[in-house]
Amino acid sequence: MATFSRIRTSWPNAKDAMSTQPEIVLAAGLRLPQARAGGAYKREDAAHMGAVLTRELLARTGLSPDVFDEVLAGCVGQPHDQANLARVISLRAGLPHSTPAYTVARNCASGMEAVTSAATQIMAGRGTTFLCLGVETMSAYPLLLNKKATDFFGRLAFARSAGARLSAIASWRPSMLAPRIALLEGLTDPTNDMIMGSTAELLARDFGLSREDADTYATESHTRAAAARDAGRFDQEIMPYFPLGASKKQKALVADDSIRDGQSVQALAKLRPYFEKPDGVVTVGNACGITDGAAALVVTTKERAAELGLKPLAKIKSFAWAGCDPSRMGLGPVFSTARCLENTGVTLNDIGAIELNEAFAVQVLACRKAFGSKAFAQKHLGMSQAMGEVPLAKLNPNGGAIAIGHPVGATGARILLTAALELEASDHELSLATLCIGGGQGGAVLLERCSS
Amino acid sequence: MNTELQNPLEGVPGPANAPGPGESIRIERPEPGLMRLVLDPPHRKLAVFDVPMLLDLDAALTEVENEGSLRGLVIMGADPLTFAGGADLEAIGKLETEEAVGRYISFGQGLFQRIHKLSKGGGGNLMVVAAIGGPIPGGACEIALACDRIVLTRDDKTRIGLPEVQLGIVPGWGGCARLPRRIGVPAALGVIVAGKLVRYRAALKMGMVDRVTPAEYLERVAADIAMGREKCKRKQRGKWSWLIDKNPLALGVIERQAAKGILKATGGHYPAASVALDLVLRSPRQHLADALTEERRVNSTLATNPITRALIGIFEMTEFAKGLAKDEDGNKAESFGRGAVVGAGIMGGAIASVMAEKGVDTRLRDLSRDALDDAVREHQAAINKKRKRRQLKGHKANAAIDRFEVTTGSEGFTKCEIAIEAVAEVMAVKHAVLGELSELMGPDAILATNTSSLSVDEMARELPNPGRVVGMHFFNPVRRMPLVEIVRGSATTDETVRRIARLAIDLGKTPVVVRDVPGFLVNRLLAPYLDEAVCLLQEGASPGRVDRAMKQFGMPMGPFELLDEVGLDIAGHAGLSMERGYGERMIANKFLKPLLDSGDLGKKTGAGIFRYEKGKKGRPKSVGLNPRLPSPDSTRSVALPQGDIVDRLILAMVNEGARALEERVAASPSELDLATIFGMGFAPFRGGLLAYADTRGAASIIERLGYIKALPNITERKGGVARFTPAPLLVQLSETGGTFHV
Repeated sequence: MATFSRIRTSWPNAKDAMSTQPEIVLAAGLRLPQARAGGAYKREDAAHMGAVLTRELLARTGLSPDVFDEVLAGCVGQPHDQANLARVISLRAGLPHSTPAYTVARNCASGMEAVTSAATQIMAGRGTTFLCLGVETMSAYPLLLNKKATDFFGRLAFARSAGARLSAIASWRPSMLAPRIALLEGLTDPTNDMIMGSTAELLARDFGLSREDADTYATESHTRAAAARDAGRFDQEIMPYFPLGASKKQKALVADDSIRDGQSVQALAKLRPYFEKPDGVVTVGNACGITDGAAALVVTTKERAAELGLKPLAKIKSFAWAGCDPSRMGLGPVFSTARCLENTGVTLNDIGAIELNEAFAVQVLACRKAFGSKAFAQKHLGMSQAMGEVPLAKLNPNGGAIAIGHPVGATGARILLTAALELEASDHELSLATLCIGGGQGGAVLLERCSS
Repeated sequence: MNTELQNPLEGVPGPANAPGPGESIRIERPEPGLMRLVLDPPHRKLAVFDVPMLLDLDAALTEVENEGSLRGLVIMGADPLTFAGGADLEAIGKLETEEAVGRYISFGQGLFQRIHKLSKGGGGNLMVVAAIGGPIPGGACEIALACDRIVLTRDDKTRIGLPEVQLGIVPGWGGCARLPRRIGVPAALGVIVAGKLVRYRAALKMGMVDRVTPAEYLERVAADIAMGREKCKRKQRGKWSWLIDKNPLALGVIERQAAKGILKATGGHYPAASVALDLVLRSPRQHLADALTEERRVNSTLATNPITRALIGIFEMTEFAKGLAKDEDGNKAESFGRGAVVGAGIMGGAIASVMAEKGVDTRLRDLSRDALDDAVREHQAAINKKRKRRQLKGHKANAAIDRFEVTTGSEGFTKCEIAIEAVAEVMAVKHAVLGELSELMGPDAILATNTSSLSVDEMARELPNPGRVVGMHFFNPVRRMPLVEIVRGSATTDETVRRIARLAIDLGKTPVVVRDVPGFLVNRLLAPYLDEAVCLLQEGASPGRVDRAMKQFGMPMGPFELLDEVGLDIAGHAGLSMERGYGERMIANKFLKPLLDSGDLGKKTGAGIFRYEKGKKGRPKSVGLNPRLPSPDSTRSVALPQGDIVDRLILAMVNEGARALEERVAASPSELDLATIFGMGFAPFRGGLLAYADTRGAASIIERLGYIKALPNITERKGGVARFTPAPLLVQLSETGGTFHV
């Protein structure tokens, strides 16, 4: 196993700083049902999803469109025709021209970055009320012309004489038709050329996780998500959504459409490894699905929420970002959680529910092992003891991305919303939302139930 | 010029608040060699070529002609988006004789011809530039055409064109003569015959104007062109002029095609289009002076034609209807920023869709998610159709789609300033919905009902603040039908009516305020018309023949086509509620009941009076009578003369119209006529129901009613006599020799 540099906190007086800071809360939130990419939302565009979601959030909360100091949206694959997606969403949702907006990107954590950026601004006294979104329309990721084809068009454009034009045309080759797939290239780390699934395979080998471990975990994710959906657990967080360009018979989506009822280990066992054949353990069945989705949160202070007539869902007690080995990016949650809990007096055991984004089943299981490993803590976290055991029951109690998919830019906001609502739903004092980030990072936000 | 004739405009009425001489046009000399004529009359917001304006122009041109040192002349409006509204329609509407019309036209034509003579293009030595923007219809466009160059304000509010044909006349101040010379016959036909105003981009492209520029630069650019500092070339027709405009062969082909199109569009009821076609085709081959003479000649006859009178009347009524949104001080009521529609049926969904398209953030509620899904689907389809046809730009189409919110719940209504309910036509349901809305929305939000058969007063009764309750009756299909009846309950406040009128106008509809009586206005008038048609059917008349007769009369579709379109169930339901509301004279004929029982409800079920099959693009197409149509009870009306068919239907409606007017269901005969034209497509060239009655005369109508009333089919029918017994107002008018319209 590669070594990780010991993390240092760059937030030395965090405890003091937090105590003098206003309490930052997630005052309201809503999300769209997530749909398999190329499916229900295949003709969607990110700005429309964001705008409809924002309008519905305003309608449900009764908030006036002019209450926000700024709008932040996280998105990984910003549509090329919607530069600064946050601003496009803001205007299309009917927010006033005077409300500024910017788009943030931290790969898979972009939606969470929107929230922590807002929190940072509140802490710095640069505003009190922020609308934070995570939006991703993976269906709309384009196919790109390959390098050869781009060069061909370049030659054609610069050919001045008829002869030059003719010779430019003659240089056309069928191989120029082969497109570059933005989705696949986006999921590949350019610093080590590893596609995300391969980083998960490394973790499986590091932590000795088997194919069966992964499939069992994946099955549980579907089971839990289906149970949560059927129990109405998502009613508060999902708005029914009728997509753009729906077919004649299509209905509004009222729940995430990639949950498989009756998923079984036996069925999953039939799948072939996707990233490393034939010995790999990661299959499309025990990895997160590719979906489209959007989530929105109102981030503000406790006082401002009261003024706005909102009952906060949760208070942000602490948050942290951390870096790690890019080829083992899946361990990001461990590093960021360690840092997030530092100086808070909270241990893993105190936390009632953990939303740890399920990029890959083996990645979640690896994190769980790392949390419970004294050796890992000593070697990588500079701690003398393990961070603590995480019982499976606490981990993603409502299923996760393996069942409902991972619209990269949206997930960070989505897990925050789910973790916040879990406090009330399951009567916990603390919950944690954390995820791994392609490129070797982790993010974690510790949420606390709001005392009323 | 003015010396030999004391008053060249004798017999042409001027405006009531006419300003003194020299006040309508400002003469400016911004730099040596340049003169500007600014049309800026003190008595109007938008200049019109009324008597004082024409006299001022006369004087101003004399001044220009007498000044030797000028190089350039600019003709412009009060600001870059205000120029002029064309000829004085009010005056034309009052001109009695062909001579008076001729005087008005020839005086204006003479003035514009003097501008032409001054200009380089007309052999003069001035560079004459029109610097204009905003709405530029008719005469305003024609004065510009007489200039050397036209510079147009580059703004979305700019619209230029020659809409005269829509008013039953043809461009008479040089439009027909000059435009084809400028842009060629085919393009000129598009502008003149269709009578549609075009935007700046199209105007520049077809060469109707020579240059466009932002409002801020208009004055400078015009001066630069007039003084020769900027070369501004006029688009030349070149060889096309010889190949097309002056080629009898090509013109023959164009004429055949255009004539076919005109006949299809007008049904032969509007002569102006054909006259314009003829003028435009001949103009390029004539001397300008001859072309101008001919323009004048035909317009003198057209302008005094009753059709023109009727069309100008409609134009004025439409303008009046737009004023319903204004208070006594002329301030427009505020538009709604956010509104709600409850009930996502065909009506509710379409109303919400149009609202969202026109800029209102609209929240549509229905208990059924499926109904909402269909509403969103329809909305997106309607908007995308407009996007595809380039009626909506991409970003506006996106915004229209974004503004459409749907919900099954009760959240999100607090900020709505208006709610329109379009739920089932059951009083208890309406009460429940409006009651809930009034709680959700607070005491000042306007509550409108799209009911077509229930009383607004009864709905308002138990609600807090009944002054904000009002009827807003849209017609089906909402996107196509231009009329909205604003039903004023006894408690409804003026402010509420104004705001609803504003909403109707914002949605592109024409509002008419009506009283809260059964069927309101349009459905009340349609009831005897449609029922009488069914009676004819029962007496053996063929549906096709009746439909043809009414279409020849000028209705957009025959009564039986209309019944199939509306749906026999809905028409039957409406008929029964009219019967309940008005008693004997509205007794509904039950002849079509077997069709209802067998589920043949009209176009929507594939069969009604007629049978329908899928035609082009899947639209239903009539393929003959429905074989399940009940056989007639008698053969009395099989060979009824066409005049009798028309009179039984139309006079039944006229008679009911007289009653409605007497009861002040509409405030004036004009408004009633407007409702008949926009609500049921009553032949526009006849000016509306009561205008038509006026041309027949009350006495002759009563005589005719007497004849119909005495027909055995009518006397034997229950309620037949009551329907054709003349309304008291008709009797009174026939006694005094008066007319509905004063």
